[in-house]
Amino acid sequence: MEYVLKIVNLAVSRRERTQLIPVLNDINFFVEKGELFCLVGESGSGKTTLALSIMRLLPKSFVVTSGEILLNGQNILNVNEQSIRSIRGKDISIIFQDPGAYLDPLFTVGVHLQEALHGTTEDKNQLITKTLKDVGLEPEIQLVYPHQISGGQQQRVMIAMALINNPSIIIADEPTTALDVLTTRQIINLLSKIREKYHPAIFFITHDLELAMSIGIRIGIMYKGHIVEIFRPDREKPLHPYSGILLGNIDKKYFNEKIPVSSQTDINDWCPFFEKCPEREQKCQKKIPFIWRDSLTGIRCIKHGRNHQM
Amino acid sequence: MKNFFQRLKNHSKLAFFSFWFLVIFYIVSFLADILAPYHFDYQFRDKPYHPPTKIHFFDTQGNFHIRPFVYNTVVDDPVFRSYREDTSKIYPIKFFVDGPERKILFFFKTKKYLFGVDKPAGIFLFGTDTYGRDIFSRLLYGGRISLSISIAGVIISFTLGMITGGIAGYFGGIIDQILMRLVEILMVFPSFYLMLSLRAMFPLNLSSIQVYLLIVLILSLIGWAGLARIIRGMVLSIKEEDYVLAAKSLGLSHWRILIFHILPNTFSYTITALTISVPGYIIGEAALSLLGLGIQEPYPSWGNILSSTIGNLRVLGDAPWLLLAGFFIFVVLINFNLLGDALRNVLDPKNW
Repeated sequence: MEYVLKIVNLAVSRRERTQLIPVLNDINFFVEKGELFCLVGESGSGKTTLALSIMRLLPKSFVVTSGEILLNGQNILNVNEQSIRSIRGKDISIIFQDPGAYLDPLFTVGVHLQEALHGTTEDKNQLITKTLKDVGLEPEIQLVYPHQISGGQQQRVMIAMALINNPSIIIADEPTTALDVLTTRQIINLLSKIREKYHPAIFFITHDLELAMSIGIRIGIMYKGHIVEIFRPDREKPLHPYSGILLGNIDKKYFNEKIPVSSQTDINDWCPFFEKCPEREQKCQKKIPFIWRDSLTGIRCIKHGRNHQM
Repeated sequence: MKNFFQRLKNHSKLAFFSFWFLVIFYIVSFLADILAPYHFDYQFRDKPYHPPTKIHFFDTQGNFHIRPFVYNTVVDDPVFRSYREDTSKIYPIKFFVDGPERKILFFFKTKKYLFGVDKPAGIFLFGTDTYGRDIFSRLLYGGRISLSISIAGVIISFTLGMITGGIAGYFGGIIDQILMRLVEILMVFPSFYLMLSLRAMFPLNLSSIQVYLLIVLILSLIGWAGLARIIRGMVLSIKEEDYVLAAKSLGLSHWRILIFHILPNTFSYTITALTISVPGYIIGEAALSLLGLGIQEPYPSWGNILSSTIGNLRVLGDAPWLLLAGFFIFVVLINFNLLGDALRNVLDPKNW
């Protein structure tokens, strides 16, 4: 299978005065061509940081401490500013959370789309009209300012901007969080329609596991900067205790309090979910690797991971 | 553009009025040499400090004249410079009268004046100054200099402030440090003394065009520093906005983001700041002229017309029409302030 995006051992830290605080640790996953990969996690788990590091748009206080981000086989962490600019928006594009804030209030929708277009031989106006039609907007909307249209329409404009260069992967960073239920449904339908028509891979970030279960081909669960599980919702149930809590399957009452705390290893190296895990054991007090179940799915948990390996 | 006027009108009738008032002011002062009844340095040697001429419709016998007329005046009391009308002959106000040849609109030589009266009478709508020159004509010519200096100065300082503030704010780091320290060096000098010392660096015997350009340069060199600092501050906050991140994610270059997305978003402030700073230039020019360092006689500017009243309290009492230049500065100033306040709201698409 062909990878559009492959991330190898990515670790990102935030600089706070003199010390580095890890934000993302040991991120290993890939998105296949034309796949819809969902990333689910709480606020603060590092989802947006991951999206921004893929775009290489991290704020200056963040540093990538190790790892590779391979986009169509090319490590984008190594390329210079000039080439990353030609990659952004063309091979990889991003849709943000709050569409109103991400459109420049001084320019009309048409100007935004013109800007999104990278050098093309086709007729620009025709391409813009066609893309607007793809996202379900009239061509007349080009003359309108962003604040004059609804949130759903703004998000459609953002999608049109992301789509216009026909990128191989679109990152959607919580694109529906700022929208109501009905509009969310419409936007999700639009994204799946676009995926059927143009086959871009979509890296869909959300905090809504149910939404992810209904649309995702594969789902990654993120916790405290670690990917704790990757599973296929149509084939198997998630096994990681945290996924269980997210789904509401596991009763939190059962919580093993009596585990003696080992002082031999650094607490930062322990399983990231140790403190809240209902199934925690003595052996979780160490560094837990991500265990691949098969080529597509895996889990970061010794208890469940080992079962799969056997 | 049509939208703009409509919005300005809807937003504030007063500002709409100010806008057209200023437009008319600028047009009138641009056409000064067509509209003025006398050339700015034409002197009536026998009529210094002449009060505004009375315009009559009825003669001494009580006959009505359709064409308004004036009387010639003669000095009544040379000490107090009071004038008496000589009612023996009427001088009707005529269009396209002949006078000394002068250039109009910088190119065309002509002897015709738009309106006037036959000699030896004179028509002084706003009186005359110490050399017997018509204040009305001098105010029109002076407006051309004072108003254009302000616009030219604003454009130069706006450009400098935008470039410096934008680059310093957007790129930050060492560039920011260097540019802002330069700006601060300019700002630590009290601006009035900086203006005087800059002027003192150049010789006094410059041609009027040179002086004009020099004043524009001096005024804008003083004005841009504050603007640059404020723009830098705005750029610092705007570059953290989400739409700048979105622009980056489209793969736009730094310059494009700075010029098309960040600087235009400072306009809501800068346009207002600029309109409000225009009067500062008019006053700056007036201040230089007042001290004799600005536009030199016989060329008029509102500043040096006003300066002729300085140090002569009797003039203020006897010939208050000389203060009209100050009144004009005041009126333009007020209108620019009113317009500036309204422009901020009108130019922001969010208010449309």
